[in-house]
Amino acid sequence: MSVEKKHSIWAKIILCLTAIFFYLPIVYIIFFSFNESRSLTHFGGFSLRWYEKLFSDNTMMESIVYTIVIAVLATIISTIVGTLAAIGLSRSRRVLRNVVEQVNNLPIMNPEIVTAIGLLMFFSALGLHKGFTTLLLAHVMFCTPYVILSVSPKLRSLDPNLADAALDLGATPMQALIRVIVPQIMPGIVSGALIAFTMSFDDFIISYFVTGNGVNNISILVYTMSKRINPSINALSTLVIALITVVLLIVNLLPMIKEKRRKKV
Amino acid sequence: MKKFMAMFLASTLLLAGCGNESGENAVTSADAVEKYGSDTLKLYNWGEYMGENLISDFEKQFGVKVNVEYFDSNEAMYTKLQSGEAYDVLVPSDYMIERLKAENMLQPLDHALLPNMSNLVKGIQSLPYDEGNQYSVPYFWGSVGIVYNHNNVDPDVVEEQGYEILRNTDYKGKIYIYDSERDSFMMALKALGYSMNTEDEKEIQQAYEWLLDMNNTMEPVYVTDEVIDGMITGTKDIAVVYSGDATNILAENPDMSFWMPEEGTNLWSDAMVIPANAPNAKLAHEFINYVLTDEASMGNSEYVGYASSNQAVLDELSNGIFAENEAYLPRMDYEKDEVFVDNQTLKKKLAELWIKVKATK
Amino acid sequence: MRQFRSMIYPYIVWLAVMVVVPMLMILLYAFTKEGNDVASIKFSLENFTRFFHDAVFIDVLKRSLIIAVATTVLCVILGYPIAYAIATHSERGRMFWILMITLPTWINMLVRTYAWVGILQDDGLFNRILGLFGIEPIKLMYTTFAVVLGMVYNFIPFMILQIHTSLAKMDKSLIDAAGDLGANRFQTFWRITFPLSLPGVLSGITLVFLPAVSSFFIPKLLGGGQYVLIGNVIETQFITSGDWNFGSAISLIMAIIIILSMYLTRKVDTDPTANGRGE
Repeated sequence: MSVEKKHSIWAKIILCLTAIFFYLPIVYIIFFSFNESRSLTHFGGFSLRWYEKLFSDNTMMESIVYTIVIAVLATIISTIVGTLAAIGLSRSRRVLRNVVEQVNNLPIMNPEIVTAIGLLMFFSALGLHKGFTTLLLAHVMFCTPYVILSVSPKLRSLDPNLADAALDLGATPMQALIRVIVPQIMPGIVSGALIAFTMSFDDFIISYFVTGNGVNNISILVYTMSKRINPSINALSTLVIALITVVLLIVNLLPMIKEKRRKKV
Repeated sequence: MKKFMAMFLASTLLLAGCGNESGENAVTSADAVEKYGSDTLKLYNWGEYMGENLISDFEKQFGVKVNVEYFDSNEAMYTKLQSGEAYDVLVPSDYMIERLKAENMLQPLDHALLPNMSNLVKGIQSLPYDEGNQYSVPYFWGSVGIVYNHNNVDPDVVEEQGYEILRNTDYKGKIYIYDSERDSFMMALKALGYSMNTEDEKEIQQAYEWLLDMNNTMEPVYVTDEVIDGMITGTKDIAVVYSGDATNILAENPDMSFWMPEEGTNLWSDAMVIPANAPNAKLAHEFINYVLTDEASMGNSEYVGYASSNQAVLDELSNGIFAENEAYLPRMDYEKDEVFVDNQTLKKKLAELWIKVKATK
Repeated sequence: MRQFRSMIYPYIVWLAVMVVVPMLMILLYAFTKEGNDVASIKFSLENFTRFFHDAVFIDVLKRSLIIAVATTVLCVILGYPIAYAIATHSERGRMFWILMITLPTWINMLVRTYAWVGILQDDGLFNRILGLFGIEPIKLMYTTFAVVLGMVYNFIPFMILQIHTSLAKMDKSLIDAAGDLGANRFQTFWRITFPLSLPGVLSGITLVFLPAVSSFFIPKLLGGGQYVLIGNVIETQFITSGDWNFGSAISLIMAIIIILSMYLTRKVDTDPTANGRGE
């Protein structure tokens, strides 16, 4: 028992330091969103001017919506596609597996600008109008490899006989897939989905070249602000943090509230 | 989970929608469709390069919707344009306009639809990249100069040495250099007394060595946009920056001064053009004309801090809120100042040399 | 078992269309010179010779690889204990910490890196805190330290996620069995837990190393531009110079080097228990 205790103190210290490391810049960002001055690093006094600017700027507000919608759709699609592909891949012959894994790594490995220019030429050659659809296609394209990369190691450590056993016992392949395989690789799917969401949410270069028709995501606005960068991007980030926190709180608190209610009844 | 995602999305959509409700449209989009053939204008401009109300005021006044996209370099814009994207109005820089013009990617302007062109500053009309302003109407303009901290750097030294101060080892570790081959070679060539558009191998080689020497002796920090923040904070003492950025630096940090070197500098302008494939050229003209009004120009210049192309606004601001700001009003009619000429081969060469300068340790 | 094998085929089609075709289009540029239109294609290896004839480019490539390796190593060393600490929690606690780690990555990378500039600069937050204790300010900005710190901050969440995934749902009976057989905690970890988590570590390495080699915003902002990395060179070729031929040649060279090094890690990967076999 004492060993367990000591162990958890170490875990606490590590996680505490981790939280400081991860959140120090975030606190900094939130703090400077209230800057009176244009600077992101020099505080000139308290003001809400950048929030005013943010809320009155349609392009900025729309960019939040586009970013979230694209990220959610790209995550859902690439998680499903990537998981199925990874399962298929784990059952494929070795040669095929090696080739597909290498090609799958290409979008991760290539500098974003190369992928971006490639897609730009590709969409133009097809005569597609750039906008929401091309943006979504591109995001699915570069998100899926991350899902496969996250799910594959879990599949490798999966007992291959499990699914066979389920099938022998009369389960349909669909049932075996959903009831047996997926729960076993769930941690991989979750982390793949989280990485996909992150990649989509934060992508600039690829998005920049494949979008059009006034569809901007947050990153495009932030990066193209370039010279005249100002704390309105901090205000924007703060708003995003607030939105995410609220959603996470609701998602986390709701089951607790339900549980309490159930207990009362 | 799904339900919450939906709720969450709905609420953000609502938030985003709020801006649209305010104010009543005197002109409806139906009027706009009748007048211009469409109620949507596709604008492609630099990020943060417009007054805060420019778009919303224009939308209200003409009953249209403006789709804005932004770029952060002329080249990124060009790449996108070349891939077949269609926009109504672009705001590229001088040399890029020259290139677009040469490649037949622009359409001539109908000056009859642009009566407000009479508001333009005389000195920036009919510049070499577009004689007679057939294709372009200036938006912002300026020069490049030296911003320095007058508490740590003697103004006499700056004025005497000009760009050479960037190789003065008294200021080792105290300088920012603008990270672009164009601007750094301009500085080196001017310091050596050459034209910044030179194609002479020897002169370019000398400029390369000038920069290499600076790189090896001065411990410079290469920056682009961060230079503004850095100089506002006073992290370094000397930087070569665009006059418009200098305006912002001087406005925030009173320790900073601005000097336009006597060796000459880059006189640049960003101007509005209409691409050959613009879907709505008529509305594009309306927008360009609108930007030239005193009201819109004032909003732009006041917010961005760059020199206005509108004479009345330029006068008012340089005597008004920017009266104490020596960087706002660029130098005009100085014989050593030049405008960049478009030259693809030269640009590739300089870009490669510039990487070599920076990568040398 | 063949049941699920066919699920890979749609993805192969998708990869062929969305990844391979655009890549081939880019690849064509690497082997051609000037004239971008199909009518005047001239095959040439000049783009490659140009790269290898210049010591500067080789230096840049070396520097990029060194920084990426340093980042990856640090991410493993720091990320493993963090992932392990997270894995000691209950299901709910783990989810909380995983979200805590991922949430900052949803803030734009440029904005986060700007915050580091503010924290690290000469009169920034860090040096002010040192000043409170009477310690002289340290030069942090525009150093290798700043670049690597920025990279680690940006990429470590992926490492933590991957390692955590392999630690979560690990077969606890193995660990218990080791304990029953008299292995101490360290032995149990080194012989059982670590080898089992190796696939996660390896995919974490892929996720950190690959983007780290070609990243360029972080070295640009925190390294002050002196840290020219291969990503900067490629970006310059594609955008500023508009020299797609040279740009795609450089990225091809980089891709080959990376594929070779990935092949080496794969050798380790094929036998995940290799390191953990006892005598």
